[in-house]
This record gives sequence, C-alpha cells and structure tokens, in this order.
Amino acid sequence: MSALPAVRTGLGDAIAAEWIKLWSLRSTWWYLGGAAAVVVLTSLLESGDGDPTTPDALTPVLGAVSYFVQYILAVFGIVAITGEIATRSITVTMACTPRRTWIMAAKALVVGAVVLGASLLVTGGGLLLTAARFGEVALVDGTQAETVLAASVYLALLAVFSLGLATLVRRTAGALAIMLLLLLMVPELLRLLSERVDAPWINTVGDWTPSPIGWRLMEGQWADGLALLAWAGAAIAAAIWVLRRRDA
Amino acid sequence: MIELTNLTKRYGDKTAVDDLTLRLEPGSVTGFLGPNGAGKSTTMRLILGLDAPTSGTALIGGLRYTDLERPLTTVGALLDAKAVHPGRSGRDHLRAMARSQRIPARRVDEVLERTGMTDAARRRAGTYSLGMSQRLGIAGALLGDPQVLMLDEPVNGLDPDGVTWIRTLLRGLAAEGRTVFVSSHLMSEMQQTADRLVVLGRGQLIADAPMSELLTATGSRVRGPGLEALAERLDDVRWTGDDELTVPGVRPEEVGALAHELGLLLHRLEATEPTLEESYMSLTADAVEYTAGGVA
Repeated sequence: MSALPAVRTGLGDAIAAEWIKLWSLRSTWWYLGGAAAVVVLTSLLESGDGDPTTPDALTPVLGAVSYFVQYILAVFGIVAITGEIATRSITVTMACTPRRTWIMAAKALVVGAVVLGASLLVTGGGLLLTAARFGEVALVDGTQAETVLAASVYLALLAVFSLGLATLVRRTAGALAIMLLLLLMVPELLRLLSERVDAPWINTVGDWTPSPIGWRLMEGQWADGLALLAWAGAAIAAAIWVLRRRDA
Repeated sequence: MIELTNLTKRYGDKTAVDDLTLRLEPGSVTGFLGPNGAGKSTTMRLILGLDAPTSGTALIGGLRYTDLERPLTTVGALLDAKAVHPGRSGRDHLRAMARSQRIPARRVDEVLERTGMTDAARRRAGTYSLGMSQRLGIAGALLGDPQVLMLDEPVNGLDPDGVTWIRTLLRGLAAEGRTVFVSSHLMSEMQQTADRLVVLGRGQLIADAPMSELLTATGSRVRGPGLEALAERLDDVRWTGDDELTVPGVRPEEVGALAHELGLLLHRLEATEPTLEESYMSLTADAVEYTAGGVA
C-alpha cells in the first residue's frame, strides 16, 4: 500500500539529513559568523607595530585563531551533538537512522567539512584583508597560504574531536570545560611538571596534545597533523562505541 | 506485525518491563493502558531500539527496528512531542527526517497539511504549544506512510477539537489496514478509539483483550416506591437513594420486564453507561506504584 518507491539508503542519506539539520539552525550562522567577525576585527585592529616595515599579514589571523576562533568552533562541534541530547531530539535522529555508526560518521563529516570550508574562507579572508591594509596583497606567498590551510585543517579536526568528546560527556558545559583544560592548561601544566620532577618525557606528552600539534601544523610540520587526526578519530570511535551501548 | 517475546528491561535493580509477550495485529487500534511507571513508554522505546532490552526481543515484521531499511516507512512513532530542537522550524525538522531515508520532500507538505500544521510549519518549534508539537510529532510519524503507527500519549495537550481529530485519524489509519498502537491514560479516550486493550502494571501484562470484554456490561438505575420486591429478585443490587436501586450488569429492558411482572410502579428507569474506567481501576489497583518521583 505504500506509494513510496523502494530504495536503499546509505551513509550519504544520513549525511544529507545532518546537512539539513545544521543549516536549519540559526545558531550555525552565529558560530560561523562569530568566528568571521573576530578574524575581521583583529585584522582591522592590527597596527603592524612590531615591525612596521614588514608586518606579517598572518599575525592577526593566527592571533584570532588561538585566542578565540578555536574555542568558538570547538563549541560548534560540541553543540552538534549536545543540542540533540539536551532537547532529546537525538531519539528522532536514532529513529530515522538506527545505525549509530552512520549517525556519528555523518555528524563528524558534516561538522569537519563545514568547519574546514568556513575556516578557509575566514582565515584566508583575514590574511588578504590584513595584506590589503598594508598594501601587500601581491606579497602574499605560498607559505602564508599553506599556513591558512594548516590552520583550517587544525580547526576542522579540533571541531570533530570536540564532537566526539561531547558525545561521551553529553553536556555542553562539561565538554567545553574539558576542551578549555586540554587546550589551555594541560600542555603548560605538563611542562611545569616535567621541569619540576626532571622528566622530559612528561613534556613530550604535552607536546602531543591538540594545541601544540596545531602550532606545529601551522609551522608546516604536516606529518604531525596525523596525530591530530588520531585524536579526532579516537574521539569519534569512542563516541560510536558509547552510542551503540548506551540507552538513548 | 509487532511481536514482543519475553521482553524485559531492567534499569539497575528496577524492572521497567517484565517478561512482556505481545502481538499487535494489523487493521486495529490497540490501546496501551497502565498507571505511570507501568512501563508503557519503555516498551515503546524498546520497540524502536532506543533502549536495548535486558532480555527478550521486540520484532517488527520479523526484524529488529535497528535492522530495518528506511525504518520510517515501516514504523512511524511519536514518543515525545517535545523532542524537537526548539531552534529549528517544524518543516525543517520533517525535511531532515524525510531526507535521511529518501522520502520525497513533497511528503513533508502532505503530512503538514494532514495534521493542520501547514501555517505553523515555518515557525521555530520552540514557539509551538504542546498541542502543535503533538501535531508535528504525528506528522513525523505519518511521514513514511508506515504500516505501523506507535503513539505515546498523542492526545496529551490537545484541545477538544484536536482530541476528536486524533480519534478520527487513528480510526482511519486502522481502517486502512494499519497497525495502530497508542498509549493513553485517558480511559474515556481509549473507550472511543481502541478495538483492543493491553493493560500494563509494574511492567507486567495485566490484561490483553478486546475492548468489549473489558467494558463493564450495561447496567440499570431504577427509581420508584416499593423496590424491595425488585431487590429480592436480583443479585448484586445497590441502594443508591431512598427509593433508587442500581443494578449492574442487567439491562433496563430486563429490569422493566421484571418490575412489570411484580406489578411495581416505576418513576424512572435508565441505563448506566459501561465504563472502562471501572474495569481498568480494578485491574490495575494492585499494580499502581505510588512512588514519589516515579518514572513514566
């Protein structure tokens, strides 16, 4: 009696549904617009005082990323799941897509792709804006473009990691607290501890947490990016494991 | 169509659903009744695979829900009308649901039309009244044109027009040959909607019978002088006034004939409505759990 044609569905359909959900929330625009606004603002405020003759057009962009944008986009990744858990609309998502693996994979891919795209636009735009202000657009070089790409990859993987972590924690505030701790304090605490007990390996552990990896990535050490990919992948794998086991 | 076999769910040391075995047949409305905490919502969550059973199985057409291809085209469910992101419009909520299983986008507008939600569909769901949320939830359940509909307390929050609308909708869906499984705490509603009742208490099956069997048979109320003679001839009568008798289970025609035979003058003779309420109360009296903060 069903008039609907028989078709098979796949991960692509789960992704398409997540895409609709993401862009049908006003808050998506607030997060991405907020990130853009911060970069534009810091780019406009950059005076080039440090070295007026050759201001690095990347300075304001990287400053904005490390002080603001990474946290904004981490929250963007967090609320992609906690927004559904808090409103219990996750039960509707699970009724539509009973395979928890597909749900998590679709969310990770959509969050990652959107943050990557938005970050490229925002950081690239910030770079060009600053360069234009100093009349140096022609001087934007390949290294700077590579840094913009690296920063965007960092932000995308960080958002995906946040999504996975938030699925485990279930609460926006809790996940954000852990992210702040991990990004701001853990590397520094481990460094201090390693000096205190004279155990350099502790500092090495700190070097492989997301934010130091991110800085090396932006300095062109692309291979270290694999470690960040591992952080994101592990968080998503753990999220899938938990989602399959835990009652909704 | 839906088959529960020895279905059991424990949360810690609390047993929410206890060894429930049940078959739901197509073409009928099955009412799911029970006091709060009886396990009705949990049973529905188990059918949808939202919670995993401790033991036993819940199968839909022989498959677990989580193994269904395009599940919304097999089972449409409304478990929690407020489980919608408040920042998303009702229409976008349905669009995402439809897209997840390649249900054509035109179905979204069809179900919005059918549930009277067309005008409100572009507003954010956070602005909806409970009744509008229920309608949106029912629209979501109808989206995949499913054979099985499972609705948890769908009349909750609806105005009288909405209640009538739900009743007509559910009867219509069953008449189309679908399996309709609906829970409610409103006995009167079930009485007018369901063909069959499944009563749950403390997670256990208390009754599973056609509605007609569960309804107390029609009785009579009779008023007049000298009814003592009538009372002597009938079993199980109650004096409900100085000259008024209530006779459960005996229809007015029989009472009238007996009064005529005895030569009694009657001032009044009327039928008492059968109530599901009474049979339900007596069935669940032992199963009601008066626990502070108990879960539904």
